[in-house]
Amino acid sequence: MTASLETTDLRKAFGGVTALDGATVRFRHGQVNALIGPNGSGKTTFFNCVTGMIRPDSGRTTYRGADITRKAPHAIARAGIGRTFQLCRVFPRMTALDNVLAAVRPGGVLGGLRGARSRAQTDRAREWLTRLGIEHLTDVEARNMSWGQQKLLELAGVLMADPETVLLDEPAGGVNPALLDRIGTLVRELNAEGRTFVIVEHNMDLVMSISDHIVVFDRGRPIAEGPPSMIRTDERVLGAYLGV
Amino acid sequence: MPSASDTVTAPGAAPAPPGPAAGRPRLGRVLTIAAVVALAAAVLAFPGLAPNPYILSAGIVVLNYAVLSTSWNFVGGFTGYISLGHGALAGLGGYGTGLLVTKAGLPSLAALVLAMLLVALIAVPIGFAALRVRGASFVIVSIALVLIMLLVFQSWASVTGGSRGLVVPRPFPDLLRPEHHRVFYYLYAGLLALALGVWWLIDRSRFGLGLKAIREDEDKAEALGTPTFAYKLVVFVVSAAFTALSGGLYALWFGDLDPVFQFSILTGSYMVLMALLGGVRNLFGPLVGALVVGTALEFFKGSFGNTPLHLVATGVLLGLVVMFMPDGVLPALRNLFARFDRTRQSSIREVSAAELRDQRLQSTGGKA
Repeated sequence: MTASLETTDLRKAFGGVTALDGATVRFRHGQVNALIGPNGSGKTTFFNCVTGMIRPDSGRTTYRGADITRKAPHAIARAGIGRTFQLCRVFPRMTALDNVLAAVRPGGVLGGLRGARSRAQTDRAREWLTRLGIEHLTDVEARNMSWGQQKLLELAGVLMADPETVLLDEPAGGVNPALLDRIGTLVRELNAEGRTFVIVEHNMDLVMSISDHIVVFDRGRPIAEGPPSMIRTDERVLGAYLGV
Repeated sequence: MPSASDTVTAPGAAPAPPGPAAGRPRLGRVLTIAAVVALAAAVLAFPGLAPNPYILSAGIVVLNYAVLSTSWNFVGGFTGYISLGHGALAGLGGYGTGLLVTKAGLPSLAALVLAMLLVALIAVPIGFAALRVRGASFVIVSIALVLIMLLVFQSWASVTGGSRGLVVPRPFPDLLRPEHHRVFYYLYAGLLALALGVWWLIDRSRFGLGLKAIREDEDKAEALGTPTFAYKLVVFVVSAAFTALSGGLYALWFGDLDPVFQFSILTGSYMVLMALLGGVRNLFGPLVGALVVGTALEFFKGSFGNTPLHLVATGVLLGLVVMFMPDGVLPALRNLFARFDRTRQSSIREVSAAELRDQRLQSTGGKA
């Protein structure tokens, strides 16, 4: 099993609060990985450190063998890691189409001056909107959409950048059961097409049904990992998560 | 059976029509083109219609405002960074041009272009420092720039002339004063057209979409792969170059520079206010704002002489616009016309998942 995203001894403290306490994690390439753990166990901080949004105090992150620890977020994105945010972030005063087109890499200085709405890119953007089931909102500004629609739009934008690895921060947060199903199916489909996933999620039904490999966090470091069947019965996990 | 929570909003019952122009009402586009043509004709015809040189010079002042505020809008409109320090860049362009003519003996046009390049060069370290901070901090850093420049140019009297001022020789000494005004009026009109053209080019480009993404949510743009800092820096330098050109042209036209006026907080504030008043998301927003505020300023100055009353009157005008047209004059006008446009469906109605499925079946010919 080849590793795609690996961290070694990541540490991050905010004042007196230790968010990451020596997190050494290895996610598997080509699989759906899940990252679970109680609130405040450092999952989002871990995402933010890995994607360069926060600089870790120490430790290192490698992606497919290359060190990305000190890289800027846009460089990490361009290395092939896309991410969504826990509180879904879209560009509120842009249409759905522009939201997705904003993920297009300009391709050099001259490329930046090319029209943003070129036929080829617009077609690709519409394909993603259609695949996520929000093509009827193409010309609607994101701020006028519902929460669930915004989550789908955020995902469409991330996928438009064609990342090899996708980090999803609570994709099931605040969405209805039908949409939850759709997101689960979509993740499996995209995974079958060769994309690696790392998913932070509290909804255990979703996690157990879609992931191949689960890493459990508690107090800023992994305490267990393995396939869903193993995690379900692990006593340390039950202790940390359910308090039994 | 679709549940209530399965509903999604859709613009009307029909699927959105394809094509990039779908979101824009056709009537609105015709009106926009007509308005632009009328505006261009009015600007070009103004010198012929101006009854005396004083009115013509007031026209130049308004055009100067229009260029400055359009230049400001490269940063303010695209990235949402509100710079109150652009007055300093205009002042540097003015003094750069003036000093290159008087001290280095360059021809006026060469001095103007070289001053622009120098200011663009200086804008790199300025932007490098200032664009690291966001929101209110950026505004304060940009104000500091003006104050520092004011002190430097006042104190360094041996070079800049200090408070005694710097006299810049006229580029066309043979021309009579009304002719001189006329030439500069058209030079400013040309510069305005150039600035608008470049803004339009960026507005529709990938670079422009990246800049607007920064305005909407900078961290999100960065996470999507946009090198936000480089984007901001590039557009700041472009903005500085146009601002410097406008300042340099002013120096050649007016012929007398004083640090108190060149490095005044008011200049930068006017640029911001004009752009906000017209609408920063619009190509012509700053121009419209400059026409309204610039004309009002000149008119009130003429009516109330040198009392601060013209500032009060301008303040009242701005208060009214901010209260009733928070996005600026142009979006307010567009909404007004959109109300009369029957081709546009403005109601966003809830459709159920079942209806949506039917629509999709129809549009894909039953394949889905």
